Amino acid sequence: MSVFAMDWYLIGLLFFVGFYCMLASRSIVRQLIGLEIISKAAMLTVISAGALTANLVLAQALLITMIVIEVVVVAAGLALLVKTFRVNGNADIWRLDSLKG
Amino acid sequence: MTYHNLLFVLAVFFALWAVTAKKLLTSAIMLALLSVTVSLIFFDLGAPWAGVFELSVCAGLITVLFIGAVSLIRSDEEKHPEGRARFYALPLALAAFGIAAWFYLPPFLEELASWRRMAAGTTTLGLAIWDLRRPDLLGQILMLASGVFVIKSVFPRRTEK
Amino acid sequence: MDKGLLAYLLIPLLSAVIIPFAARSRARLADILANVTLLAGLLNLAWLALRPSVIAGGFADIPGDGFSLLLVGAVYLVGLCVTFFSAWFMEDGQANRPAYYSLILASVSAMTGVVTTTDFFTLYVFIEVLAVTSFALITTDESTKGIEGALKYFFLTFPASALIIVGISILMLSLGSLSFETLRIFMASDVPPGPVTFAAALIMLGFLIKSGVVPFHAWTPDAYQGAYAPVSAHLAGIVTKISGVYAVVKLATLLRFFDGRAAALSEMLMFLGLLSIAVGALAALRQKDFKRMLAFSSISQVGYIVLAAGLGTPLAIMGAIFHLVNHATFKTVLFLNSASLEKSAGTTDMEKLGGMEHSMPWTSWTSVIALLSTAGVPPLSGFWSKLLIILALWEAGLRGYAALALLFSLVTLAYFMVMQRKVFFGKKTQAAESAPEVGAPLLAPVVLMSALIVALGLLFPYFYAYAKMVAERILL
Repeated sequence: MSVFAMDWYLIGLLFFVGFYCMLASRSIVRQLIGLEIISKAAMLTVISAGALTANLVLAQALLITMIVIEVVVVAAGLALLVKTFRVNGNADIWRLDSLKG
Repeated sequence: MTYHNLLFVLAVFFALWAVTAKKLLTSAIMLALLSVTVSLIFFDLGAPWAGVFELSVCAGLITVLFIGAVSLIRSDEEKHPEGRARFYALPLALAAFGIAAWFYLPPFLEELASWRRMAAGTTTLGLAIWDLRRPDLLGQILMLASGVFVIKSVFPRRTEK
Repeated sequence: MDKGLLAYLLIPLLSAVIIPFAARSRARLADILANVTLLAGLLNLAWLALRPSVIAGGFADIPGDGFSLLLVGAVYLVGLCVTFFSAWFMEDGQANRPAYYSLILASVSAMTGVVTTTDFFTLYVFIEVLAVTSFALITTDESTKGIEGALKYFFLTFPASALIIVGISILMLSLGSLSFETLRIFMASDVPPGPVTFAAALIMLGFLIKSGVVPFHAWTPDAYQGAYAPVSAHLAGIVTKISGVYAVVKLATLLRFFDGRAAALSEMLMFLGLLSIAVGALAALRQKDFKRMLAFSSISQVGYIVLAAGLGTPLAIMGAIFHLVNHATFKTVLFLNSASLEKSAGTTDMEKLGGMEHSMPWTSWTSVIALLSTAGVPPLSGFWSKLLIILALWEAGLRGYAALALLFSLVTLAYFMVMQRKVFFGKKTQAAESAPEVGAPLLAPVVLMSALIVALGLLFPYFYAYAKMVAERILL
């Protein structure tokens, strides 16, 4: 098996762990952790594709932007978490089920 | 090549630990270690700038943010722990997925790799960002500005209550 | 990036940065600045596109491909209506008032970026900005429902972004470039597509999740219902349409569905479109809450656009573009009116409302116009776009799809009739007795939009010329 296929196979496992975490957990922090794992896996695909096609310059240019985006997304997610905690007194997403139908 | 594969396996291992850990603090630390591993992979693949950014921003800044938020809500998490059974099932589920994927994914990925199109020219990173990705820089500025507005909106300066 | 339209991105950004400083001592300055910025942009756009000489010349002088210009216009129009409405809707003591206007302007700026970009990664960047701003906007009033809607939005939209990134990296691997033009040229050539269509399918899946098409619609009703009232108009009217549906339409034209390339993807898209038309319409039938019913109806209308995009013939693309604009007009009216109802009658529960026609005539009649336009009653604008879509389906030989689309259009009419009888006509209920008509400033945006709905319907030949020009430019 080539290096590329092995890398992407393991990246696939990382995606699985991230999605499993987001599906199984009820706590917002853990959902964010799952999201982080997924975004790490997505970053790995970009750099790995760049390395395969000798296009690392473009891949790195994309990745730096992605990291800036990720910081803001995580900061915003944590701000939302703190706000939820302040309003509801807990950080459990299934306990918020006022909307039904 | 073994070093390279080892790093990927280590990344999966840290991710697994981050998800199954009982304490949120442990999870946050494992996430930082995952970031460090990912940045080592970037160095190994020949992408030093990406590695440096990943190491300083994701392993550093995001971990600090995470630990700050976790310490804020930790007492509640400990009072109402969620069911652990689903997380203990994760290694099993991962193993099942891994074995199934072992048979189906590699041929698919090999074919994907055979379609690759090599890039032609080489420039430096700075030039590539400035010449090719200038709109992204605008997007980054907008993203940072919106991040500030989000924080201002969520935590407004409260006058007298 | 389209250089001619860059100013429409930069000026709201600048204004958004200035607002927190300007509004430090006087909070009202934030409203004025936001409104003036958007109004100036809108007037400028109108000058660009609606000068008599341009209309006489068949819109040949429009910069860019025309599609971006049209959508920038829609973005500014909805943005202006929402800011004008919130300036009078928001309570005076609201602590995050300047941040609210900054976020609206930032999201207008991001949407302009989305519709003017020519590169997949830049598209992704702006869509992330849009997502971040919109879930902060949803939680403006700090209600539990708003936070729940925002959380659901957050945790569905960012995994979808990861799918888009994987698609982008496969595209980078197999195409070597991320610009729209490269993909268009590649699809027009005879080279076997290989993984390029797979990459496009992943990107499209991500955008379908973001646009709330049926199997992925879990977040849409919650986010629309829970959001701060004027924000739900902003969100339903334009934000989710730009962040999801626009990209789907764009990808459909780039993949040249009308040529029969990527046929499997095209069929999949049409099926999902029809499914969301059906599920949205049927779910809307049994809703008890006004806003929630509008949210399901929005899912159903998005289905029409996705169906047309999946067909991909020039006529269908014209229908999709026109329906996208129409959707922005009538959903803005309906959600802003639901905000007025909430403010005046204190509830949006359809069981408690009734006979609003007597106590809130303006709100009721503008809502009725928008509802009839949604259901596709001639001569309002919604009729023409649905007609174009159904005609395109019929012409392509897909009689079954055309018949079903028509049938569910009638279902839309049915549930809106039921709702009109419950909410606006009939006997006055207790809630209606004590509900005064809202003030003129709150009515101005909805009256403007309703006038636009009627005008677009009556002046359809002009709009048809414009949409034809757009479809020719983006498809050929």
